[in-house]
Amino acid sequence: MRMTKASARTGLLLLALTAGLLSAQDGERGSTPYFQSRAFNVPILEGWDDQSGEDFAQFHQAEARATIRTAIAPAAEALDAAGAELSATFGFDLDPPVYQGRVNLADGTWHTLVYDIDAETTASVMARQDGGRGVVISFVERDAAARTLMLTIAQADDSLADASPEIAIALESLAGLSLSELQRADSQTLPSGEWTVYAGESVMAMGMIFGNDAYVALQMGEAGDLAALAEAYNRTLLGFFITPDNSQYLALGLAVVFVILAALVGSLYWREKNVQKDLALLRELAREDE
Amino acid sequence: MGEIKALAQEDLRLETSVPPRLLRLLSLVTVLGFGGTLFLGLRAAGTDIQQGEIQRIFYIHMPSFFGAFTAFGLTVVGGALYLARGSEKWDRIALAGVEVGLAFSLINLLTGSIWARPIWNTWWTWDPRLTSAAIMCLTYAAYLMLRAGIDDRMRRRAFMSVYGILAFVTVLITLFIIRVVPETIHPVIVGASPQNAQGGFEATSGVVTALIPSLLLWLTLLPITLMWHRVRLEERLDALDRLKMRVLSE
Amino acid sequence: MKTPFITCVAAIVRKDLRAEIRSRELLSVMGLFALLSVLLFSFALELDRQAREEVVSGVLWVTLIFASLLGLNRSMALERDQGGLDAILAAPVSRAAIFVGKLLGNFVFTGIVGFVLLPLMTALYGMNLLRAPLILTTIIGLFGFATVGTLLATLTVQTRAREALLPIAMLPIVLPFVLTAVRATKAILSGAAANEWQSALGMLAAITLIYFLLCLLLYEYVVGE
Repeated sequence: MRMTKASARTGLLLLALTAGLLSAQDGERGSTPYFQSRAFNVPILEGWDDQSGEDFAQFHQAEARATIRTAIAPAAEALDAAGAELSATFGFDLDPPVYQGRVNLADGTWHTLVYDIDAETTASVMARQDGGRGVVISFVERDAAARTLMLTIAQADDSLADASPEIAIALESLAGLSLSELQRADSQTLPSGEWTVYAGESVMAMGMIFGNDAYVALQMGEAGDLAALAEAYNRTLLGFFITPDNSQYLALGLAVVFVILAALVGSLYWREKNVQKDLALLRELAREDE
Repeated sequence: MGEIKALAQEDLRLETSVPPRLLRLLSLVTVLGFGGTLFLGLRAAGTDIQQGEIQRIFYIHMPSFFGAFTAFGLTVVGGALYLARGSEKWDRIALAGVEVGLAFSLINLLTGSIWARPIWNTWWTWDPRLTSAAIMCLTYAAYLMLRAGIDDRMRRRAFMSVYGILAFVTVLITLFIIRVVPETIHPVIVGASPQNAQGGFEATSGVVTALIPSLLLWLTLLPITLMWHRVRLEERLDALDRLKMRVLSE
Repeated sequence: MKTPFITCVAAIVRKDLRAEIRSRELLSVMGLFALLSVLLFSFALELDRQAREEVVSGVLWVTLIFASLLGLNRSMALERDQGGLDAILAAPVSRAAIFVGKLLGNFVFTGIVGFVLLPLMTALYGMNLLRAPLILTTIIGLFGFATVGTLLATLTVQTRAREALLPIAMLPIVLPFVLTAVRATKAILSGAAANEWQSALGMLAAITLIYFLLCLLLYEYVVGE
């Protein structure tokens, strides 16, 4: 009788604890809200329309007609994954990319690709191989008044803290301009870092160094808010990570815990059985003596 | 006549193999509580998105150390009281503390090692804290070896009380080593983490609500229940020994 | 009626020293062990000049511990074989006095090994180990070893496995001495600021004092009635 009351009380206590726990936000991490899926995590872009689904993160900004999308595409090669993402998901007819490069980041080798889709649309893509699938982070911009491109270039001289050489490369290959045709403007400090800024006649270029790579953003045409777009895309790139799948280690750990506890309880039980066996033997001896 | 009476008395003590009601109740609550904390740690708490599922092992890893702390602490108390009072029940408590504490510290050591494989990319590293935790385990293994090596009962009890008190130093060292040798990479979740710590995570509300019940369980119910069972077993072993002596001497 | 404490202690120390001076067994064994250990380390670790500087404090303290273990086991075995301990225990002497007496005897022997070792390593490793703070650290550390060692050797000598159990019982317990002593030694040898080794040395002294009181208290339970 007393037993059931106590277990009921324990159950109530556990229930209360669980309720308190479930009300706490799952997987929160510092102050950065994250989009989480089974495959990857990216920061949620504040102020952007969240069009994410279960398996992909997609954010849209209406004013610049820009979309930043992170998704997993099943493909053996990172480049195939990028192509599949743009043609299948966005429905683009792809010409060869206007820029193609590779960078080695902490989590692997990323391909960086830039496409001019049509008069108003450009697509800038970062793609990486992860097991049998490709991770693709794409920046698509459909503003007729501007052509906005994002690319990542490995630093030629990693002692520099300034992205000017890489901005020059990007300008040359994507706009046919040399850096000297632009004026250096005040650099901008954004949450992702210190950005070097160049401005010219209807051209704007920004670059930031992170690690040994330069993150460059170009905008041609009517100047929009390039800094905000570059910041949003870089936030996604730098904040992106894949939660490691180590549940088999958790299973191993739990197995070890149970084995040790079972060994302890089992040894208690075994020794108790031996006591009883010895006792029976002693009784037999005593009876024979009589 | 008196002989038989004494025999019957020992027999009676051995006959009652069913644990007392309070112990049965305690065992039930402990098992339920253990299930509950497992549920909290494995299901209710959110997945740590940086470390993945393996971070949940922390809800056992850290509490198991404190469980060992309780058990070894009771060994000190039992040893000191045995030396002061001379009643063998205190020595039984001390012995129970060592066995239970050793199991808990093994859990602590092995879960830590399994966590380290995916997070530090190695099963083991000679970090000060890991080293002192391993030495702590070895010390109490030495306790059991030493105990088995002393034949005389009175001497065994007195010696092991002394050793049980001294051995607790290794527990304190494991707890405080980051103050003496600050170059540890072992993370500290509550309070300031050492400079070189790798694999720490923030003590968010989810972590804390899963951790606190588990910590309370491992600190109190789990060691006390297991130790009580062990003490009872030792009582019965002692009684059986006495009975054996008497029967054989007849 | 009990003999005064100091007289007792002095008598026990005198007895141990006299026996030792007569046989020279203990000291020669420990001294030879220390020399061999230092040589062995320098070959086994293939120590070049830079490596030596890094590991010298470790070599010093590991050698000291093992020399202490050797000496303690030997001294307790002699005591047991010659029945010296029983004779003392039979006398109306306080257990604390016996402990302090045995402790001082053991400390003197290990201390001598320590002071053979310091100049020896200075000569062989080409580093000056004969500095006042380092000598002080060695004295305190060895006193700590002798404290714990005297208690545990008295305990293990009465077990079935005897000599084999002393290292197993003692090594984990002396860990705090090793930790702080190695830290102090390293800081002293690297020429770090005084406050760096002073804090480690202070900690070593505090631990030694705590252990001394604890062992003094517990000794009577180890020697029996």
